[in-house]
Amino acid sequence: MAAGRRKAGKRTASKKRSGVSAATKSKQKQKAVLDNLKGHGARIYKDLDAGRFPTFSIPSRSVNNIVFDGPTRQYILGNASTTRSSRNSSQLRSFTQLMWLAFFANRLTREKKSSTLRDVYYSSQAFAIEFDNQAESDNIIVDLEAVTSKPREDFYIFPEERSTIFGDLNVEYTIPGYEGKTMNLSNHPDGYAIGPSLTTAELVDTSAEIVIAIEKGGLFTRFVEEQIDKKFKSIIVNTGGQAPRSTRTLIKRLHDEMGLPVIILTDGDVYGEHIAMVIKSGSANAAHLRELTVPDAKWVGVWATDIEKYNLPTIPMTESDIKRCHDLKNDPRYAYGIWRKELEVFLKIKRKAELEAFSKYGLTNITDKYLPQKIELARSL
Amino acid sequence: MVHIQEKFNQISPSEFFYSNRDLAGFSNPTRSLYTAVRELVENSLDACDQKGILPNVHLTIRAVDPSRPDPRQYVLTVRDNGPGVDADHIPLAFGTVLYGSKFGLKQARGMFGLGATMAILYGQITTNTPVTVHSSVDGKTEERFEILLDIQKNKPVIVKHETRPTSKKGMSVSICLEGDYSKAGVKIRDYVYETSLITPYATIKFDDPKGQTFSHSRFVKEIPPPPTIIRPHPHGVDVERIRRMIVESQFDIPMVNDAMIRKICKELHVKKDADFKRVMLRTAKKWKGLTRHVRVILAIMSFLKVELDHMTRIRIEDVDTANNLISYWDFATSETRSAPMDPDSPYYRQLASTVQGESLGSFLTKRFQRVGASTAAKFSEFAGFKPEKRVGTMTNKDLVGLSESLQRYEEFLAPDSSCLAPLGADPLEKGIKKFFEPDFASVVQRTASAYSGFPFIVEMGIAYGGKIPSGGPHVYRFANRIPLLYDEGSDVVVKVVHDMDWARYKVKGEPPFVIVSHICSTRIPYKTAGKENVADRPEIERELRLALQYLSRKLAGYMSKRGQAEAARKRANLYAKYMPMIAQFCTELAAKKSEPAYQKVLGGLTKELGLESAGSDAGNGTGGEGGGDGGDATGAADRAGGGDASGEGGGLDADASAESAGMKTFDDTASKTPAKKKRRGRSAAPTGPSPASPTRRGRAGSNAIRSGANATAKKPRAKAGRSAPPSDADAAAAVVAVAADTAAAPSKRMAHNSDKRRGRKGA
Repeated sequence: MAAGRRKAGKRTASKKRSGVSAATKSKQKQKAVLDNLKGHGARIYKDLDAGRFPTFSIPSRSVNNIVFDGPTRQYILGNASTTRSSRNSSQLRSFTQLMWLAFFANRLTREKKSSTLRDVYYSSQAFAIEFDNQAESDNIIVDLEAVTSKPREDFYIFPEERSTIFGDLNVEYTIPGYEGKTMNLSNHPDGYAIGPSLTTAELVDTSAEIVIAIEKGGLFTRFVEEQIDKKFKSIIVNTGGQAPRSTRTLIKRLHDEMGLPVIILTDGDVYGEHIAMVIKSGSANAAHLRELTVPDAKWVGVWATDIEKYNLPTIPMTESDIKRCHDLKNDPRYAYGIWRKELEVFLKIKRKAELEAFSKYGLTNITDKYLPQKIELARSL
Repeated sequence: MVHIQEKFNQISPSEFFYSNRDLAGFSNPTRSLYTAVRELVENSLDACDQKGILPNVHLTIRAVDPSRPDPRQYVLTVRDNGPGVDADHIPLAFGTVLYGSKFGLKQARGMFGLGATMAILYGQITTNTPVTVHSSVDGKTEERFEILLDIQKNKPVIVKHETRPTSKKGMSVSICLEGDYSKAGVKIRDYVYETSLITPYATIKFDDPKGQTFSHSRFVKEIPPPPTIIRPHPHGVDVERIRRMIVESQFDIPMVNDAMIRKICKELHVKKDADFKRVMLRTAKKWKGLTRHVRVILAIMSFLKVELDHMTRIRIEDVDTANNLISYWDFATSETRSAPMDPDSPYYRQLASTVQGESLGSFLTKRFQRVGASTAAKFSEFAGFKPEKRVGTMTNKDLVGLSESLQRYEEFLAPDSSCLAPLGADPLEKGIKKFFEPDFASVVQRTASAYSGFPFIVEMGIAYGGKIPSGGPHVYRFANRIPLLYDEGSDVVVKVVHDMDWARYKVKGEPPFVIVSHICSTRIPYKTAGKENVADRPEIERELRLALQYLSRKLAGYMSKRGQAEAARKRANLYAKYMPMIAQFCTELAAKKSEPAYQKVLGGLTKELGLESAGSDAGNGTGGEGGGDGGDATGAADRAGGGDASGEGGGLDADASAESAGMKTFDDTASKTPAKKKRRGRSAAPTGPSPASPTRRGRAGSNAIRSGANATAKKPRAKAGRSAPPSDADAAAAVVAVAADTAAAPSKRMAHNSDKRRGRKGA
């Protein structure tokens, strides 16, 4: 960390030090993706030309093949993979869909044209590729991620959900038309949407020393108003509920490239706990991707034990809350430490509290009292 | 018995039907016109069937005054090439209700003399016009009659009679009646159409009042074997029937005609003009050697004291032994006369024993089918009668007992089915294929069965696909070669069809299929007098069900074959559709200039699927063309994109290097076209020239496969595409000639109607 510091206490991206420009880095990444795709194209071309039916080998995402990896503390796919063959008439359609998607992703990446999941669904129709609905095309996108081991964002395919970020962070855009432009993310108090341009931007430098990910937009605004970014030298990220993958990617990059520790504040319920867990160790849905997790991220609240400690107003847990608790108890990631402990307390008190509950003691109570304590606590964790 | 008949005679049958004509289907102008057509056409067909003549029936309906609105007067004429009726019988046949009732049993469309006479009667009631009958028995002379019915007396009144030379055998009956063709037309056309289906050996032509001609040519040259007349089965008679049979046996007094006169002269060794005295003399001498009929006639003659010749001019009506009177109808004076019988005469015994009838044993063996001497003896014991008992002496109570015993006795053999004339499986199948042009047809003829002593046979056919419209099953019902058009809902056939669980036979939704059912019986159990729907006798229902199940299994077999062929074709189409896409996408992805030779893959597949080139070609058209076009467009766009990228200094893509970017685009579009052509040429090679539109090609392919995989589909539809004209064979099946000046609305309706029947063959 210390090595990453420059004058005026600004942290810079660790790779910056090697003197590689943002543009070049972006190019390199693009080339890696294109090469990957081209490799598949060349392989299929060769098969066809030789009179063979081409196939795709797709790592299996079935429940049986999702295993918990101890060292990385996340879910990863096992070794099992399925073969999707153009020879099999029942797989032919989805093979063609995947083939098309690789082809389409190749164009998007080469032309740096971003598109949404929905765009992909509609674009397919221009090529007479049929998807019954967007769920089907979304699924093929995940297949391509698995085949290439690259997140869809690398192919310029982005989800529709937008979460926001605010704080003293300079970025340099790489998207066409903005190449080389820089921006400081504390210029706009509503925060910056984490979209394709921000996801692909190079992180230049920051004065912040911590990333605070917060579950709710309302609290995000409060934090900006209360200048938490300055008071605690922090970058504030609104995850908007379950953090989208682009947001998780950005948090990871802030952690990995800028060397910032990450703390997570969620509602005091089982879902909030899981939001934090997904940022920390990924979701089963994205077990085929490894670049989305921040194993060092720390969940600092609201804990079940905080409910009593801070005497927060509560609501009773619903039956589905309780069921969810029991489900998560079987997850190996919840088998130890604070995760296990809080889950059990939730089950015991059968009540939950939202972040806004602190407003009972004044609107700034959470920023004045609770947050400092938790940041302090995080340092010791 | 004698007493009963006297009573019966007091009400004229003509008068009875006059006041109850709706019983026979003459309830209103619409129904009456339809029924009259039916009765006359069926008479013609029956007459031809009986003599084994291939029928040509020409039906004409003409409005007397076309300017008047319906209901109006129509002249209905039916001409046939049948045997005709000889001049002697025409007045009685067409001028008497219930003339010549038959006691013999055989399958026929109708009982001659009732339906046709009712039509004539109805015509006379509504228009007061005589019926015109032309008949030629020998093809040389033609008898022309105009006859009115004397309703009260049930006697014909000859208005006009002439004899003319002719060159054609056959008969023509023309009646003038009130009718409503605008309403009855649909049914009459359906009737003619369906009749030609069930009578494939007949040529039926119909000229309707609007100037349209519906012509159905025969397409089967062999007439089915005619039915034989048989005696009733013991289970098939009731008390009244037995009574009538006994009366018949008592009055077994033969018609005296020229042939009989010759026979008498021969047996007596006298000349034709021998006088009464000489005949009686010879009779007394030769009595022992005379046959029974001759004896009866001579016995009567002895009481009437008339010349032999005179016997041809009378009809014996009653031999009343109670009052010792003989009554007879005198044609010359048109009145009933009677003569006394002398009980002391030696001839009296002859007549008395005739009147008392035969012994029960002989009555059973002679008057019933399949009853032999030993069965008769066993039955007599069962019924508690002496076999020698004279049936003429039986009391009412005896008759009821006899009737009940006949029903209860179970040792009788099953009814004889030689009296039935089913159409036969082959002609029926031919008809079905001709009329419906299906993809699949199957026909079954069940063996004979019986209900209540009446034998019957069920024939059934099923047809699927082809030109049959969806929304099936469409049920065509026939009984004794008569189409049944009205009251479909309550018919046993319809019930059986609706009871079927079609999903079990792989028939789903609103399938395009037709069921043709034909019940043949000496007595069809119609629910109503109008002969429109068959009652659900359990025996008949069972036979229908078995026939339908058999056919449904055949259909299921076809459906699964069809399903397999369809699945194989679908698979082939799938590859043909997707492979070119895969080739196109991977070419760009791999940054290659031309597409891989993926046809090798498709070729291997075609063999593997057991499909000849048709299948893969079908899809190839669609996929290939679409893919080719897409390739062009995206190719150009791509180059542009590549140029941009390399301009920035990437040089990622060999194809898109900066200096050649512009030219490449050009080059590529130019070089792509021949590549595309080449590909198309290759794929088309195994099937010959590739037609214009991909969809049409697809259809051609699919049909070829279907006919290839399925042996039952008769003709491969080589000519695919909507524009193909109907073949000559089609035209011959049913020519619908529409007069050019026909009014739009009715002709539309007609066209629609015939479309519905025969698929989408234009009028």
